[in-house]
Amino acid sequence: MKKSSIFNVLLLAGGLTCVSSCSDFLEREPDEILTDDQVFSDAIMIESVLANFYGRVTWSQHIGDWYQYTVLDEAGKSDGGPDNIQNYDNAQWRVYDYTLIRNINQFLQSLRATTVITDTEKQVYEGEVRFLRAWTYFNMARGLGGMPIVGDEVFDYQGGMDITTLQYPRSTEAGIYDYIIEECDAVSAMLDEEKTINSARANKWTALMLKARAAIYAGSLANYNNKMSSPIRTAGGEVGISAEHAEGYYQQALAAAQEVINNSPYQLQLNKPDDLERNFYEATSVKDNNTEVIWARDYRYPGQTVGFTTQNIPGSHAEDIDRAAAGPILNLVEDFEYVNNRDGSIQIRDNQGNYIFYDDPADAFANKDARLGGSVITPNAVFKGTPVELQAGQKVWSNGAWQTIAGQPGERDGQGRLITSSNGPNRSNEQYINKTGFFFRKFLDEAAGASTRGRNSEMWFPRFRFAEALLIAAEAAMELGQQPVAVGYINQVRERAGIQPLTSVTLDDIIQERRVEFAFEDHRYWDLKRWRRAHIVWNGVVNSPTAQHWALFPYLVVAPGTPNDGKYVFDRLTFSNSLHPRFFELRNYYNFIDLAWQNANPKIVLNPFQ
Amino acid sequence: MRRYLNMLLFPAVVAVSSCGLDNYDAPESTIYGRVVYNGEPIGVRGTGEAVQLQLYQDGYELRNPIPVYVGQDGTFEARVFDGEYKLVTRDNNGPWVNDRDTTIVNLRGTANVDVPVTPFYTLSNVQLSLSGSSANASFQINEVAGGRDIEYVMILVGKTSFVDDVSYTARLDINDVTEGSTITGSLDLTNNADFNSGRALFARVGLRPAGKDQAIYSQVVQLR
Repeated sequence: MKKSSIFNVLLLAGGLTCVSSCSDFLEREPDEILTDDQVFSDAIMIESVLANFYGRVTWSQHIGDWYQYTVLDEAGKSDGGPDNIQNYDNAQWRVYDYTLIRNINQFLQSLRATTVITDTEKQVYEGEVRFLRAWTYFNMARGLGGMPIVGDEVFDYQGGMDITTLQYPRSTEAGIYDYIIEECDAVSAMLDEEKTINSARANKWTALMLKARAAIYAGSLANYNNKMSSPIRTAGGEVGISAEHAEGYYQQALAAAQEVINNSPYQLQLNKPDDLERNFYEATSVKDNNTEVIWARDYRYPGQTVGFTTQNIPGSHAEDIDRAAAGPILNLVEDFEYVNNRDGSIQIRDNQGNYIFYDDPADAFANKDARLGGSVITPNAVFKGTPVELQAGQKVWSNGAWQTIAGQPGERDGQGRLITSSNGPNRSNEQYINKTGFFFRKFLDEAAGASTRGRNSEMWFPRFRFAEALLIAAEAAMELGQQPVAVGYINQVRERAGIQPLTSVTLDDIIQERRVEFAFEDHRYWDLKRWRRAHIVWNGVVNSPTAQHWALFPYLVVAPGTPNDGKYVFDRLTFSNSLHPRFFELRNYYNFIDLAWQNANPKIVLNPFQ
Repeated sequence: MRRYLNMLLFPAVVAVSSCGLDNYDAPESTIYGRVVYNGEPIGVRGTGEAVQLQLYQDGYELRNPIPVYVGQDGTFEARVFDGEYKLVTRDNNGPWVNDRDTTIVNLRGTANVDVPVTPFYTLSNVQLSLSGSSANASFQINEVAGGRDIEYVMILVGKTSFVDDVSYTARLDINDVTEGSTITGSLDLTNNADFNSGRALFARVGLRPAGKDQAIYSQVVQLR
């Protein structure tokens, strides 16, 4: 009896639901899937699709992922235990995004078909997405070499179809760079010449910058790969560009860069000629009145913010619990020249091997390239109005020898003198303590609240800026034997940094200049790869000056009764959190092809060393 | 109580009866092999999966190779199913002339394979010794395929029996060497923590042909 009554209730309920719900349940309009007509009838809708694409084109090294700054020779990981990386992954910063390329091609197809907006409006949108597509191919090519070029094709598979028609072979390496250059040429004619808000969208000059960069990459690959004792290439040219193409690429790079230099509304920013350090910081990291940045990944509160400042701010200036996740290393700091000395080594010992005593730790960095102060917070440099104290410990003179004392962060001795700064540096596994002796300045946001978890920062990440046009032009001119042209361009950049001009330019000068000008801007890895220098600089030798990570620790001198008491000295130490020197092997010049891609498309040939 | 025991029994029955239905047995057959020149195994870097061979098997839809890692003494071992395999060196990998000729391996239980390669140079008459606080090495460079510069030779001392250009405690690189010559070098270990700890030390020498991703090494010798 009891059982059947429950049964009746269930039956009744089921029946009622069925009767009352026989409405248009299955005929509702989806509110999350929009048709082409709905999207392409409205400029705001089109732009939100575009915004989605812009949000998907940030790869490799960028401020959204501070850890990536520590894998090369720019910064060291300080957020806890040491970093065990011993060599580079076969998929290091590999980009293979045919999903995005397909989405862009779908967008193009629908955009061209729509009748809702005018042809002039269409042209700008088309230029923008084709630029983003070229940028995607460029990011694939610099990691993988030539990859399949699918044009505007939107593939559509139906059961029973011959799948081999959808399988495209890899393009040659020269072919993919040629395609990028052609696309940029076409696109630069479609896009506006005006600056964009916060440089967040592509315009004509962005396309020309990508053209210049692609051409200089292709030129240096053609040039320097063939100068290796065993050039890296595949039989079909998917990797490896023949040497005779180098000159043509260099000419294209020079022409494109010169067009930006001569005709664009951008210029080398020099708003504060009296304070070149500040000037350089503002040129790269401040959006207001910026005249230099051509294209950037912009961030904006609320919704689109970036945690770089929160994670890396010095502890003394932190607004939240996060701080000091990574710090620039001495290798980078010493690569910045002195105003009148091209050897940028920090003077810490005299010829007899005795300490050099500084009244203020900041004095050790006096007369350096202004870009050092604009990119790196050195000990006692000012950030947001107050100095950033960095002190590893004390050097106590006892019984004719220096004794090193380190304490807990913030600890003071019996006389009230600081032992170790609350910022660090130290050589521990502790979180939130600096371990290199330096903090980031470039891309560290000075705005209030920018280092809190709840808000984060609106800092942008520049992808192209005017200085790159100058240095591409200088490099291309140098390779083409036009020394006076090269000297003219490189000296503009050096003058803005406040360092002596050059009278001639070599490849090593270009390497050096790009290293310091574009620190933390995702150039270093790709540059050393295209010049085929990466395996020489990151040779894996323990204590090598370039492959090992180095730190610089400031100490307070405690030697009562001597003139040096209260001064500062420095020790040069291996960076304790990078256990191994960086080791770039020949196989790393090209990412490996994922074998699953080859399984899906047997026409894809593998890369060398694979 | 009985009820609870029954409940325990149920998963036990499921566990017993559900094993082995759709699983293969693990492969039991093994390929043992060496990478050799003139019958002598070639010393390579044995860490970091640096030197690999590739095993292919025909007759399947996908043709991904099985990587076979070569140990530092030039030997390798792969545990796979019985069948006919093709063994090749990896493209441009190893201190030898890049040659991707196939070695056919018929595996029934076990198989012993020698993969012949032609190194650019070999090292012979290797003498490694420890005297006082210095490690001394002397060895001869012989040209085999030649045709390449020698980027450098290195003398390596390690604290474990794995010694190569990544795993070492002391290293001496010598540049500008030529084939046919006898190289001598010594490493000062006075300030080396691993030397001063008094524990075991191992050593070997290596030669890096220009433009190759790997060096050729002598066999590892225990110094103490």
